[in-house]
Parts: sequence; structure tokens; C-alpha cells
Amino acid sequence: MSRVVVSKVATVTALGNGLGPLWQGLLAGRSGIAELTRFDCANYGSRQAACIKDLQAPLNGSLLDDILERVAKQIGPLPSDSRLLVASTKGEIDRLTTACREESAIPASVLFEPLLAKIARRFELADGGCNINAACASSTIAVARAAGLIAAGQAEAVLVYAADLVSEFVFSGFSALQALSAEPCRPFDQQRKGLNLGEAGVALLLMNEERSRACGYQPLAIVAGWGAANDAHHVTAPARDGSGLILACQQALAKADIAAGQVAAINAHGTGTLYNDAMELTAFNAVFNSQLPPLHGLKGSLGHCLGAAGGVEIVIACRSLQQQRIPGTVGCHQPEAAGQGRLSAEPQKISGDYLLCSNSGFGGINGVVLLQGVS
Amino acid sequence: MKGWINGIGWVTAAGFGRGRESSEHPFCPGLLEIPKRRQVFEQPDMRFGRLDEFSRIGLAALAFCLRDAGEEAWDKKRPIGIVAASRYGCLQTDLAYLQTMLPDQGKLASPNLFAYTLPNCFLGEAALRFGLTGNTLVLNQADRTGLAPLRFALEELNWSGQQGILTGTCDLTPPAAFAVGNECPGSLFLLLEKTPATDVPSYGELVLCDNEIIFAGTRVVDLPSLVTACLAVKK
Repeated sequence: MSRVVVSKVATVTALGNGLGPLWQGLLAGRSGIAELTRFDCANYGSRQAACIKDLQAPLNGSLLDDILERVAKQIGPLPSDSRLLVASTKGEIDRLTTACREESAIPASVLFEPLLAKIARRFELADGGCNINAACASSTIAVARAAGLIAAGQAEAVLVYAADLVSEFVFSGFSALQALSAEPCRPFDQQRKGLNLGEAGVALLLMNEERSRACGYQPLAIVAGWGAANDAHHVTAPARDGSGLILACQQALAKADIAAGQVAAINAHGTGTLYNDAMELTAFNAVFNSQLPPLHGLKGSLGHCLGAAGGVEIVIACRSLQQQRIPGTVGCHQPEAAGQGRLSAEPQKISGDYLLCSNSGFGGINGVVLLQGVS
Repeated sequence: MKGWINGIGWVTAAGFGRGRESSEHPFCPGLLEIPKRRQVFEQPDMRFGRLDEFSRIGLAALAFCLRDAGEEAWDKKRPIGIVAASRYGCLQTDLAYLQTMLPDQGKLASPNLFAYTLPNCFLGEAALRFGLTGNTLVLNQADRTGLAPLRFALEELNWSGQQGILTGTCDLTPPAAFAVGNECPGSLFLLLEKTPATDVPSYGELVLCDNEIIFAGTRVVDLPSLVTACLAVKK
């Protein structure tokens, strides 16, 4: 089996273009969550979201086009034989909403096939790619799939590209579900009141180790394990016993062939909703036998970036392993009892080789990626 | 890479069905009847009535497929996943949701419809109803053969600890603007498992070799021809 490494990354988030500003912003405890001006929020349960600065849709285009352009410029040239895996939950949902509002023809670009073709063209890849839709675990599962393809020798390089927007469509929906926090969200805090939406674009080039070295890339991390499991419990609510997440964690640990005690830190999904965060703490305490490593969540800084959330978090996890510290969980001032001593609003030092990233989503799906640092 | 085809179920313009009760593949253009609860499940089911049409045809085909394999009933959750390909996904549900969101600037946005504006939600419905704890996802990909999800599923099956994968396609009739002619709307799923079914004879073994899918020694060109071959084996 080939070892799978993360060779190149690019990010565009509410904390700026590129991993540098993002990492510095996270360490400084900054939040990209702010008053939303993209659409009128008068009838919604919140006015807060983490939007990318100065995002502009081209004429007759989508805001996703701008994200794609920024990410593509940042990541630069890629091996042209890279396979393409895209992870977006709603694609060009802004264009569908506009077309319906204006009662004009629905553009074909709201379908994933033309979107995939556009992405493949921009990255100059021969592979037409596929989009993986597993709700908020989409990019985590896309990274897992990419790692699977490379480990099995089916591909030498896979580009995972994930992007989702802060759109009125999704914002209104979460508002209708009463899942939005009116204030900046507080993942894992005892006083948490819901989530804030965010948006992001992220690209990760995964390669087998030999090919990565031959291309002259310095690996950022090794993808050591991965897992995915369904709760089989509810469509929009997590299983309170965390059964699906526990299974996914166990699969990832088994794939990496390590014990839970070797995990130095956890990058949790941490949406800031009552049930998600409680479920995660239950699951992690079960997996780690109540000996939790330091854990954190990024959504108090970046909002919930939907299908792109996992991808961004995996990129941050690569940097966390390199620097042996994890950013603080912005908004978490009084951690839930089940995470006390392991959660902090401030950055935490970590010590070890492995970092576990998890995401869970509608449809009961849970995805886990286990990264190993590169010495 | 291999997997046993142990069940087939569908909801198409030809009607509702499952492999062991049919002799012809069900893909055909035409009007798609959206199943009602009593056409799928004997017992009253409050959730079914709340589902959007996309979820109904997907869930019903999954139910028929598991029934065909003799694996609908369960008492312990099982590591079976779902890989569903879709071209249009839940576009019709998105449009229905927008009709609730746009008129009053979001005041009357429907939370129930919104919950189904992710195309993988019907997979969650199937997972909870049938106790399926495998990986569940929807695949969007340019593919006119219908075989892309089968390739994906065979790889998943062989690279993971999952016992089986339900795999196939699910699409409602597209909006008129997207119709290309001769669409065969509907949903059809196969149950691929690592071992032959125990309660019923398996249809046979599906093999993925050099990106080609082989069934009964013959290269499969598309999903309808595979289903035809399966139905012939059964007889």
C-alpha cells in the first residue's frame, strides 16, 4: 500500500486568502463572523455569518467562480494526471436563487456536471471528476476517498476541491430550523445557542509519497487513516450516543493501525448547536476512554462552511501537527463538562504525531480523517 | 474487485418492482408515479408522508432492493453503505423550497422542505429505517452508462469493512429546461455484498477489473444491460 501525503493546499476563508493569514488569524483568536450584508436578514433568526471579503460574482456568474479563481491561483500548477474530487453541498445555489427570484430561465450551471467541467478546466486537469455530496462531511469523505484511491494504487495524485457559499437559500433554511445563533457562535460552550454559517474554498493535493517526492513537494502531513459511518438514527439530528462518529473514529484508528492514546489532538466538527457538540463529546469520550487529548473547533472563527468545512479543517490540522499546537476554540469560554480541561479559547500546545479530524452532517453521516505529522 | 449482486429494486416510469418479480429491465421514458406509503410499506409510517418526491422514489427503491435480497428486516444495525448517483439531485425540492422562501423574504421558508434540500438526506432516511451504518453519499458525475456508482461501490466494498453497499441511481423527471429527450426518470438500486445472500439465490458476482465491469463473463456496457443480464440469470 502506498503512503498518502498532503502535498499542496490552498484556502480562501473569511480570515483571508491563503493558509498563512488563516493560521495567524486563528492563533490570534480572530473571528471572521460579522454582520451579514449580502442579503436582507430582517426575517431571519440571525444576522451573523463568516463571509469571504470582497467576493464578487462575474457577470452572469456565481460567487463560487471568484472562490475557484482565488484557490486556483493560490495552489498553482498541478500534475495534469491528478484525479478530481469535488465536495460541494449546494454548488451555484446563488444562481438558482437569483433565477427563481427574477423568474428567468434556470441556468444549466446549477447542475453539478457543468460545475465539475468548469473546475476541471480551471485546474487544467484531464479528469472530469465527480462531486461527493455527504452534507457537512462532504470534503472529509472526499479526502478519505482520495486517500483510498491512492493507497490502493488507483491514482498517484488526487485533487480535492471543496467550496460552499453563504447563501440566502441555506441561511433561511437553517433559520427556519431555528439552528442559527443570533450572536457569534460558541462551539462546545455551555451557553452555545446554535451555529453561524461561513463560506470557504479549499484545495488539497493528495499524492502517493514517491510521486510527491519526485515532484519536489515537501509533504505537509500523511493521511494515515480514515473512516465513514452513518448514525442510522435521524435525518437532521445526530445520534445522542455518538454511535456513528464512534464507528468512524474506530475505522480511522484501525486503518492507521494506532491506539487511541497515540492521538495528540482532535479537530472536532463543533458547530455550536446543542446536540451536535454534546454528541461529539460523548463519542470522543467513548473512543478515548475518557482520556481526551486536547481538542478544538474552528467554527467560532470561520463559521460553518458546509461541504468545505472538513477540507479547511484538515488543512489547519496539517499546520497544527507541524507546529505542535492547535488554535483556540473561539467563543468557548465555559467548556461543556465533558470537554473541560481539553477545550480552550486560547491556542493549546500538543505533543504527538497524530491528529484526528471529524465532521458530521445531515443524513446521519460522519467522516473522520486521521493525519500523521511529517518529521 | 468483486461483489455479489444480491438484490435489485426500482421505481421507474415502468412502475415499482424488484428483480425476483420481474423479467425485463424497468428503464423507460415516461411519467414517473411517486409512490405512496402503502405501496412501499405495509405499516403506517408518519415520516413517509413528509418526504419530498426525490426522497420517496429513492427510499422506495432501496426498500424494494433490500426486500428482494431478503434483507429488509433487521434487529441489529449492519455495516451496509449507500452510493447513489444523481444528475439533478434534489433540484425539484430546491425549487419547491424557494417557492416558500422567496415570496415573503424568507418569513415562510419551510423547515421541512429545507431538510430535504440535501440530496443525501434520503440516504439517512434509509439508514435509520433499515439500520444501515455504512458510508452514505450521493455522487454527481458525467456518466451516461449508469455504471459510475457501481465502480465506486465495488471499490468501497473492497477497501473497507462494509458488508455491503446499495448502489444505483436516483433522479426525478428534470425541469423542462433541462430535458434532453428520452430521459428514463426514476431510481434503481442493486445490493452488492461481499458474500452471496443467504435467504435467496444471488444474481451473480460483479467484477471490476481495469475499470471495466464484468458480469457473468461479459463486459457490462450500461446499467440497463446489467439489470437485464441479472434478470435472465434468475430464470
